[in-house]
Amino acid sequence: MAVVTEKPIAQSSGSGYRTVAQRAQEWATKAPTQVAMRDKELGVWREWTWEKTWDMVMEAANGLLALGVEVGDRVTIHSEDRPEWVIMDLATVAVRGITVGLYPTNPHAEVEYTLNDSGACIHLAEDQEQADKVLDLPAAAYPSVRKIIYIEPRGIRRQVDERLMDWQDFLALGREYRQANPGEVEARMANAGPDDVMTLVYTSGTTGPPKGAMLNNANADFSIEIIGGTPERIRGHIPNTKDSVLTFLPLCHVAERIFSTWHMVGFGVVLNFAESIDTISTNLREIQPTLFFGVPRIWEKMHATIMIKGQDASPFKRLLFKPSMNLARWIGHKRAEAAGGWPLTARLAYWLGYVFVFRAMRERLGLGKTRWAGTGAAPIAPELLEFFLGIGVDVYELYGMTENTAVATLNMVGRNRLGTVGEAYPSIKESVRIDTETGEIQTKHPGVFAGYWGKPDKTAETFTEDGWLMTGDVGEWVDDTHIKIVDRIKHIIITAGGKNISPSEIESSLKSSPFINEAMVIGDRRKYLTALIAIELETVGNWATRENLSYTTYRDLSEKPEVIALIEAEVERTNEKFARVEGVKKFRMIPKELDHEDGELTATQKLKRSAVEDAFRDLVEEMY
Amino acid sequence: MSFGRPHLRTSYEQDSAIFPTYFQKGAAGLFLIFIVLMVLGNGAAGWIPTWLFGQTWLNPLTLVLPFAIAALGFNILTGVTGQVSLGHAFFMGVGAYSAVTLGGKGDGGVKACVPFADNIGLLDKAGECGLGLPIWIWLPLAGVFAALVGILVSPAAVKVRGLYLAIVTVGLVFIGLHIARMLPEYAGDYESGRKWPKLDIRIWKEEVPFIDMNEDGKWLGLIYLTEEQKQFFFLFAILLVMMAFAKNLVRTRTGRALQAIRDRDVAAEVMGVPEQHYKRVGFAISSFYAGIGGALWASYQGRVSPVDFSLLLSVEFVAILLIGGAGTIAGTMMGTLFVELLPKAVEKLTNWLSGNLDSGGVIGDLANIMLTSGPGDFGPVSTSPTAPGWPMSVFLWNPVIYGVLIVIFLIFEPHGLFGIWVKIRNYWKGWPFSY
Repeated sequence: MAVVTEKPIAQSSGSGYRTVAQRAQEWATKAPTQVAMRDKELGVWREWTWEKTWDMVMEAANGLLALGVEVGDRVTIHSEDRPEWVIMDLATVAVRGITVGLYPTNPHAEVEYTLNDSGACIHLAEDQEQADKVLDLPAAAYPSVRKIIYIEPRGIRRQVDERLMDWQDFLALGREYRQANPGEVEARMANAGPDDVMTLVYTSGTTGPPKGAMLNNANADFSIEIIGGTPERIRGHIPNTKDSVLTFLPLCHVAERIFSTWHMVGFGVVLNFAESIDTISTNLREIQPTLFFGVPRIWEKMHATIMIKGQDASPFKRLLFKPSMNLARWIGHKRAEAAGGWPLTARLAYWLGYVFVFRAMRERLGLGKTRWAGTGAAPIAPELLEFFLGIGVDVYELYGMTENTAVATLNMVGRNRLGTVGEAYPSIKESVRIDTETGEIQTKHPGVFAGYWGKPDKTAETFTEDGWLMTGDVGEWVDDTHIKIVDRIKHIIITAGGKNISPSEIESSLKSSPFINEAMVIGDRRKYLTALIAIELETVGNWATRENLSYTTYRDLSEKPEVIALIEAEVERTNEKFARVEGVKKFRMIPKELDHEDGELTATQKLKRSAVEDAFRDLVEEMY
Repeated sequence: MSFGRPHLRTSYEQDSAIFPTYFQKGAAGLFLIFIVLMVLGNGAAGWIPTWLFGQTWLNPLTLVLPFAIAALGFNILTGVTGQVSLGHAFFMGVGAYSAVTLGGKGDGGVKACVPFADNIGLLDKAGECGLGLPIWIWLPLAGVFAALVGILVSPAAVKVRGLYLAIVTVGLVFIGLHIARMLPEYAGDYESGRKWPKLDIRIWKEEVPFIDMNEDGKWLGLIYLTEEQKQFFFLFAILLVMMAFAKNLVRTRTGRALQAIRDRDVAAEVMGVPEQHYKRVGFAISSFYAGIGGALWASYQGRVSPVDFSLLLSVEFVAILLIGGAGTIAGTMMGTLFVELLPKAVEKLTNWLSGNLDSGGVIGDLANIMLTSGPGDFGPVSTSPTAPGWPMSVFLWNPVIYGVLIVIFLIFEPHGLFGIWVKIRNYWKGWPFSY
């Protein structure tokens, strides 16, 4: 692997912004042999140099021109994370088009909605399954779609639809076009302006249909410079070519885009594509990423995995496991008190644990080389962060949303306050405020989006009169520096007694139990709080096996009296942490695994509260 | 390969590397240096404590090396290709007698090499056949001749499988012994054998060898070595080359074909692996190793008789494979060391015990229980080397110990010593979990 020693310069955006395509082109000239991406092909990691990557981007960009993509045309990408995703994204930006990502889990209806709402002209479908989501309806249902490009030809080859086009044919078309019209893509790139919309990010839509947030080149540039270029964020130095990330969260989500592709083009970080969502733990072990961003679900799952494997270990290992986990919690607690620093006692204890358990455990988890880890996009229980601090993986909570290009607050090295989402970025201290009346967090900086696609009325609703972006999250100051998120404004529960309660705090505490996958606290205009709880099949199943409890299905397991007793103990533990009125008086088990297809979760696995409440209304009413 | 990411494979070469990580490369290198230093320190310098690696251990250890080469061949045939053979002693014999015919000293010239020369009147009296050629001719040809015989035998493996093949190959050993008895001009006297060429390297038939292996002295004018050290390094170098070849074989298309045949020959044939061809290849390579091993062993011994290539020798290889672990190079090495050094260790232990017979205390009591020093004593081991019945001599106990070990390993650890190593390795690999 060729190593380029020069560090990318984190230029401030004042001197002139660069589009992500221009940044990629710079890498291709500056470090052509440097590895840009890796993906696993037939069992080995295939390396893509910057030269090869950019070459393919140019082919794809020329291909888009050949297909008649004009400035501002929308190109939709419906695929798992893979190199072609990034290539199509960069190619679209290069020809001043607009990339629209779809979640691979999006069902037919949402695909139809997104394609027609954005008015896509080119659609990239990963394989036959994704292509079918478009092809199942008559062509008239998608008036704007001119070409459907597919990457995996299996199952499509013989299907006759004139809109279909193979990815290889598409690249070949691009090569031809490039020969006939050299320099045309370059000319387009040169004309790109800061106000060019580069991508539409569809918000997950826990309420109402998804809205496409328009991010322009200036937004992206600002976000890359401010998130990547803040030296206080990462211990050591800012991201560079020696860093690597593993990408497995959907690239259409703004957080994953920032921490993978934008880190790649911004800082030369090597982008590694996980084979699939099921192989993350294996891939993590292989890649040992230095930077790792995970949503709380991932951290919860990792914690649960440690606990299960620890309990399943052979006797001697088990003997060592229990005290070392207690040690980790103790170290984590000490470090949390020291705002993420290393008090001497914690340091000494960590050395001891490192020799015996933590080093090997981190290596097994794939976090052996991680120098920065982040969590965001949903609330996480502080105990979980404490645990990871204890084994030496510093997980920093960040806060941001699509509409401000994920720039709002962050926890910084040595100033990490668990339970808060951190403070404003040091270089733009005045960019965050909390409305004194409603308690809503508001932001204002160059990363704030250009508006919702085709919904000026909705756009107007999200801004205050003086031009601040309303996040819809209620927050409060902690020590005047850090911000703690209370909840979404819409989620705040006002009990019959008139008490304001934030359900997500209770929920994330419940979810920190390895046995609980999903929890929803209910109590708006009711006398007391109740909860719907979904168990984690893997951990509870493992527990049941060890308890000699036989079960058949998820529902069967959920409804076992022993399991209910187990969950009750977990609920009790949570109740102890909260005031009496915030205690969960009763709970019911959700008899099925919640699913995106059934409309209970959004594409980002967030609970659609109203849908869940509707679906299990009888269970809820039973509790009152 | 990036440092500290042992599981990150960016090419198939990395995936099939013998030592995939820097750590393993380093460990292998250190192990080699360790062996070399141990043997060097064993000479005049004497700075290695004798109990650790005394002079007495160098000869038995050197004797293990030719066996290790032959065992590698047995592993290729039985461990990798899955053809159970009890004819390995026969192939070793073919190699050994090719060596002595080509490299040994003859007294009747070329005429002595014609079978039954004295009976048909070519010579007045029986002579020994030996062409006196140098080692660079007789050693490779010993392997080649053995391989050719192996190819001749291989069709039997296509016709019969499993135990039946084992029995067919047992027949080879007896045919070999019979031929040796019939042809003393090659084999020498049936009981006392004949003299083998020395290990010296000559360019042609000159008196003073190019590289001397049988005198203490400076080697190539560079380093002072004793006779034992020279022979050890020479054989060790050959073993390393043969090991590298064996290890690489398993990683090639041929090696994968052989393993496919081991796992199920019919399925392999269906997959497009020509069974007959690859069984022939397996026999050829295996016999080549046996030939080289046999030639080197006989040369190192100096004088060997046909009875040394008996069925017991074949069984020894079965013990090596089962105790060491079938199908792996490291296992084969462990097995050879174990099986070949065990008699030496038992002998040493017995000597030590008999030396402590009258010392009293626990050791003295143990010695009294174990040993029979004269009539009226009822220990199971006789101190007399020629004890015919019960109590048995140390030498007669050895086969019993092999037998018991084979049974124990088959029942409790079918993957042999290597399997034990794998278990230990996996225990630490999984740390702090178990999977």
